[in-house]
Amino acid sequence: MDSQIGAELAICRRLVGARLRGQMQYRGSFIAQIAGNFGVNFVELIAILILFSHFGAIGGWDVGEVAFLYGLSCTSFGIAHLLGSGFSSFSTLIHQGTFDRVLVRPVGTLLQVLAAEMQIRRLGEALQGVLVLGAAIGFVGIEWTVGRLVYLPIVLASAVLLYVALFAIEATVCFWTTQATEVLNAFTYGGSDMAQYPLHIYDGWLRGLLLFVVPIGFVIYLPSLYLLDKPDPLGLPGFVPFLAPVAALAFAMAAAALWRLGVRHYRSTGS
Amino acid sequence: MITARGLSKSYWVARHRRGALGAMRSLVDRSGREVRAVRDISFDVAAGEIVGYVGPNGAGKSTTIKMLTGILVPTAGEATVAGYVPWNQRKSLASKIGVVFGQRTQLWWDLPLIESLELLRFVYRVPVDRFQANLTEMRSLLDLDPFLETPVRQLSLGQRMRGDLAAAVLHEPPLLYLDEPTIGLDVVAKARVREFLARINRERGVTILLTTHDLADVEHLCRRMIIIDRGRLLYDGSVEALRQRHGSHRTLVVDLEAGATIDGFVRDGVELVRADGPRRWLRFDREAVSAASLISSVVARAPVVDVAIEEPAIEDIIRGIYEGGLRAEPAVSE
Amino acid sequence: MRLYFEVARRSFQRHLTYRVATLAGLFTNAVFGIFFSSVYRAFYQDGERGVVADFTLPEILTFVWIGQSLLMLVYLWNWWEVADSIRTGDVVSDLMKPMDFQLYWLSRDLGRASCHWLTRFVPTFAMGALLFDLAWPGTISTWLAFFISVNLAILVSFGWRFLLNLSAFWLLDVRGINTIAVLVLNFFSGLLVPIAFFPGWLRTVAEWLPFRAIVMVPVEVFLGQRTPQSALLIQAFWVVALRLLGQVVLNAAVRKLVVQGG
Ligand SMILES: Nc1ncnc2c1ncn2[C@@H]1O[C@H](COP(=O)(O)OP(=O)(O)OP(=O)(O)O)[C@@H](O)[C@H]1O
Ligand SMILES: [Mg+2]
Repeated sequence: MDSQIGAELAICRRLVGARLRGQMQYRGSFIAQIAGNFGVNFVELIAILILFSHFGAIGGWDVGEVAFLYGLSCTSFGIAHLLGSGFSSFSTLIHQGTFDRVLVRPVGTLLQVLAAEMQIRRLGEALQGVLVLGAAIGFVGIEWTVGRLVYLPIVLASAVLLYVALFAIEATVCFWTTQATEVLNAFTYGGSDMAQYPLHIYDGWLRGLLLFVVPIGFVIYLPSLYLLDKPDPLGLPGFVPFLAPVAALAFAMAAAALWRLGVRHYRSTGS
Repeated sequence: MITARGLSKSYWVARHRRGALGAMRSLVDRSGREVRAVRDISFDVAAGEIVGYVGPNGAGKSTTIKMLTGILVPTAGEATVAGYVPWNQRKSLASKIGVVFGQRTQLWWDLPLIESLELLRFVYRVPVDRFQANLTEMRSLLDLDPFLETPVRQLSLGQRMRGDLAAAVLHEPPLLYLDEPTIGLDVVAKARVREFLARINRERGVTILLTTHDLADVEHLCRRMIIIDRGRLLYDGSVEALRQRHGSHRTLVVDLEAGATIDGFVRDGVELVRADGPRRWLRFDREAVSAASLISSVVARAPVVDVAIEEPAIEDIIRGIYEGGLRAEPAVSE
Repeated sequence: MRLYFEVARRSFQRHLTYRVATLAGLFTNAVFGIFFSSVYRAFYQDGERGVVADFTLPEILTFVWIGQSLLMLVYLWNWWEVADSIRTGDVVSDLMKPMDFQLYWLSRDLGRASCHWLTRFVPTFAMGALLFDLAWPGTISTWLAFFISVNLAILVSFGWRFLLNLSAFWLLDVRGINTIAVLVLNFFSGLLVPIAFFPGWLRTVAEWLPFRAIVMVPVEVFLGQRTPQSALLIQAFWVVALRLLGQVVLNAAVRKLVVQGG
């Protein structure tokens, strides 16, 4: 079983390599796009800074602490967006019936779709997130313990997994309708935007949604309470900041199950 | 190799309303209709066969093939292909089949053909030596060398189809599905594809299920043919039997001596269907009239220079079937 | 005229048929509206401030919901229909037809916008009004001025999008320019943060650009922060300027097409 997965990953790497060689042909536009994607996020950051210049704090969190959330969310979202490029362009695969050929190959469909596309320009998003995260860590002065040092990468990985799963769900819906991608944007982009602010500023129902339906709160906000040593205004049990990997895995498994259901609903195209 | 029992597939198609009011209504009301693309189709294909799967546009050919590859899950019915249930064991089946969709390439659009083929080697986990041997063979059989380094998007249709054929057989699948492999090809290219298919069937024993609108493909390649229309199976049997059974008419072509005429020639079961200069075409029912007696009665009436008898073209028979259906005939195989 | 009316009518009807997309879009607008509203509410609570840069909390929430309602109406992002027709070559047959090319696309866009008034603007604004305490204009004439201002915003936005699309005559790939356009629009239209919040020099930049006429100006009219006359002046100026600029660029593009064969 393990060697099976290893072999599939090797194939995946080859497919990605082929895609990248294709993209590198347009190097100029390529760098412009990385810069552009960097810029889009940068402008959002400026907007946040402008708001802080007027208000000073939000929900008791200062600009450095919010920047930490922002950096965490942007970094993981950017990496997930990069890895999950194949999911974000999945509707064209469905529209043109090209998913047919994915289905007649002896490699897992999820892996093939992931490998079908790798938009390096999205590196810009992740890069910007990393910079902000680094700056925020310097600014808030985290008290580094071994626990925190070990947990930060785990949190990042969990957040990446969660966002990739979210993109996968977005793609899965295309098996039923390709018109609804916008709803899913609300979950992906909306979710990652909401994760940039402390969860307790939202109304109860929205908080519930962000914790128990799309568990973004479990991978960004709650772990940050521990990493930044902030009190939990929601009064959740003390171990919840450490549930990030569990929440992400559970969500990813649900997404994979949904995907398998979707594949059986695939209807191809008329010709 | 293939067993299909009662395969059926229906698509749900949402209704489109015209005009602004209609559009408003469709916002709330999502009614539609069911298209029954394939209805209750059963057949078997034995290893080593080449079967032509024909039918008019929209008959359900592609839909059937997609179910047998595991791309679509049928609405009802069962099938096993190479021992697998396609839609449940898709991945295991995939290494056992090669697929060519004439309308759409399986290759990577922006990579040179050779790179696509090499990637497929990894996808299908073909050992290097087998791959090399196969590639060498395909290169000569399909004459790939002139465009091996060309990106697929720059290939002509005929070249691309040859590339797709090579891609479909590189992993040595015992079964090949071909959905319109000759679509849009010129005569030479078609002949080349047919020759290739005949050859891998003969030499490697590859089973082939092929759809086409060019019945010459069927005549050249298939001993057996399955005809479907509007999702239903109309005929499953040998091409020869079909010709015997439904092509009961043959045509006698006579060249008359200059100035001679047979106008007004009447005989039961014989019909003058065409006249061109001194040449006459007489269609006759082979059951009612023997060729010998017809010839002698024509010769008795007017001096004849030359005679020939034409067998019915399979294309004409099939057209008759598409147009009239096989009404009284039970759809059975021999 | 009849032609343009028919073009608009067809476009209107075509957009009405995107029903799932409409519902999906409304959902997205609602989500982002609620998100931004929650953020501003929390900011105002923390600062314990009644008025910031001339905005009270109800006013800023109104700004948020007008922004969400306008998004699709002014089609802020990703409208590349003209560029697509340039890329596929369909543009040639359109240019040969006896019609004003820019007016033709404007008609299509107005048909689309009329549809989005009904299917996007009204429902989104209504959701905002139901969920939050908004600031309402006191007089009918303000409502009227707002209505006119939004329609002018659509024209400004069209002029800008048309120009952007024409770049496809020169660029093979518009994705790069798209990214930059989104970035500039989001910020300088005042969609992310009201322009009044900007630091001085940035505000000056924003005031010299056409983008505030697309989002910020209608909001200011609605909130009574700007007189209808001043709004009309700004927006009309940009409508005319962009239309003329579009014509100049189009002529250059056609010349290039004729000379170089595309
Ligand atoms: N994805 C789909 N969604 C809805 N209807 C479909 C779909 N695919 C096929 N159909 C319908 O099912 C019927 C059979 O289509 P199919 O493609 O199997 O026909 P075909 O025999 O391959 O025809 P052709 O010779 O034109 O390729 C047609 O009526 C077609 O419109
Ligand atoms: Mg077909």
